[in-house]
Amino acid sequence: MSEMQEHRTPVALKGLPADDPHLAPAARNPQLVERVIAVMFVLGTVLMVGFGWAYWINAQQWKLGATMGGGLFFYGIGLVAWGKYLMPKGPFVEERHTLANTTQDRNAMAAAIVERGGSVIKRRKMLGGLLGGGLGIFGVVAMFPLLRSLGPLPKDTLFHTDWRRGTFAVDQSGRRVQVGDLGIGSIVTVFPEGTQDTERGQAVDQTVLIRLSNQDFTTQKGRETWGPMGYVAYSKLCTHLGCPVGLYEQQLQMLVCPCHQSMFNVTNGAIPNFGPAPRPLPQLPLYIDAQGFIRAQGDYHVPVGPGFWERS
Amino acid sequence: MTSTFLKRFSTLSFVGLIATGPLLLFVGGAHAAGVNTYQTTRKNAGSPNSDIVKKDANGVVISYGNSAITYNAPSPALASLGQALFLQNCASCHGTEANGVPTNGTGGAYPNLVGLGPATIDFWIESGRMPAADPRGVQASRRVARLDHQQALAVAAWVNSLSPSYPAIPTPNLAIANVADGAALFALNCAACHTIEGDGDALAKSTFAPSLRNIPATQVVEAIRTGPGNMPRFTGNLSDYQVNDIVKYVTSYIQHPQNPGGFGLGGLGPVAEGFVGLALGVGLLALVGFWVGERQ
Repeated sequence: MSEMQEHRTPVALKGLPADDPHLAPAARNPQLVERVIAVMFVLGTVLMVGFGWAYWINAQQWKLGATMGGGLFFYGIGLVAWGKYLMPKGPFVEERHTLANTTQDRNAMAAAIVERGGSVIKRRKMLGGLLGGGLGIFGVVAMFPLLRSLGPLPKDTLFHTDWRRGTFAVDQSGRRVQVGDLGIGSIVTVFPEGTQDTERGQAVDQTVLIRLSNQDFTTQKGRETWGPMGYVAYSKLCTHLGCPVGLYEQQLQMLVCPCHQSMFNVTNGAIPNFGPAPRPLPQLPLYIDAQGFIRAQGDYHVPVGPGFWERS
Repeated sequence: MTSTFLKRFSTLSFVGLIATGPLLLFVGGAHAAGVNTYQTTRKNAGSPNSDIVKKDANGVVISYGNSAITYNAPSPALASLGQALFLQNCASCHGTEANGVPTNGTGGAYPNLVGLGPATIDFWIESGRMPAADPRGVQASRRVARLDHQQALAVAAWVNSLSPSYPAIPTPNLAIANVADGAALFALNCAACHTIEGDGDALAKSTFAPSLRNIPATQVVEAIRTGPGNMPRFTGNLSDYQVNDIVKYVTSYIQHPQNPGGFGLGGLGPVAEGFVGLALGVGLLALVGFWVGERQ
């Protein structure tokens, strides 16, 4: 066995002679390491003093963080280096004692619980029953918040929006959109008048209004009156997962969903031609009133947004 | 019987005449004023229907606008220079009449520029997209402009002289802009494609929304008002005051972002930024752990 191998053999720390090679520091040049660690500690101390000073003068937060963090950093480097290079290099062994108690101890414990505790409760049956019942009720009550966190039932709100016959289309600021407002190739997000500042208006009723031409625009058979003067309107909720479909490309005539890149062709009723969206965006039928305002002919003919269980 | 019919007929004709007269006048007026299909009737939204309108002796609009944005028509004196530059740089595709019909080809392949308005011409030239590097490319990219500012104005002046139209060259007044309103309007109208950090993103069919990091204020207004390429036009849905607010936001916060961490990573978003943070942080911790646990 060579000297090297002998030094790497684990030995018990107890009873080692002071000159045993296992007790020598790990570093080849302990004096140098000690000096380096001393420098680390001095730097750490300086920064800690700086932290106290920065705190005292109410300095900017990054100065507080830099001084304290830097101080702890240098202390940490020094401590790790101390442990790595100056401690006896070992390796040492220390036998573990068994973790489990003796069988005798465990049996005595079990007997104490079963016999003594059981007899105490049996002697007061009424109290034991009350305690058990109370805890059971507590368990049931504890489930209430869990059930309530599911929220109220949606009822038929998923089937309808706030668009009605004659509802004015307004922009984010509440301004009614007029027939002359948009040039061809323009887009604006509109809401039913009065809902533009409400959560439901912004979440459910949001609609993109696009001007495609100067003449009435028919996107599909049966929708001849839906696009007066080239204005067409689609729900802004993607039929995939409900992201706002606001990316309009006016030469490709495409609405793109930013989440999963579903693409809808605005000229043929927003039929998806790419991506995971399963259905076209619902189109809102429009008309232009005598004063030239853009108004809805009624609600969407199908539910807006992604699918749900009750949707037929 | 006959008399009733005649009466009704004459009444109807009279009503019809009264109704069609103003209509014809309106159509004729609109045609004479050079109103094209890209324009809005809304006041103060990029068309001459604005607070301040200046006309020359012949009644031609030379500038219009309001306290937020002033639109100036390029000087007609530049038109002859503009025609020379156009024949040199643009006519091989857009034709000598700027109508999109090349001398040795048929129309339809290249856009007709007549009636587009000076802002459109100026934007495409000054952003370096025209003359096009690849006329058959899907989308032209921003490059160093081949023509300088005066030359771009000259080309715009000549094309505009063929059929005067709008919008003219805008000058935003950023001193009165409200940057907070601009941020809200940017989030609603622009961020969908250009991202909230203004870095741009990929779109359908190999097109993309370009970055807004290095675009001069004038070109931001021009792009909003004219809708270059696949970008929609923002006409009557944004007033000049609102456009001015957006331009202020783009030229301040978008182009000079505040990065408290020192390095914005181009605003890639929380997932990408978190990934970089994790890779760097965990990598560093792994190195430290290796040093602490290493044995001789």
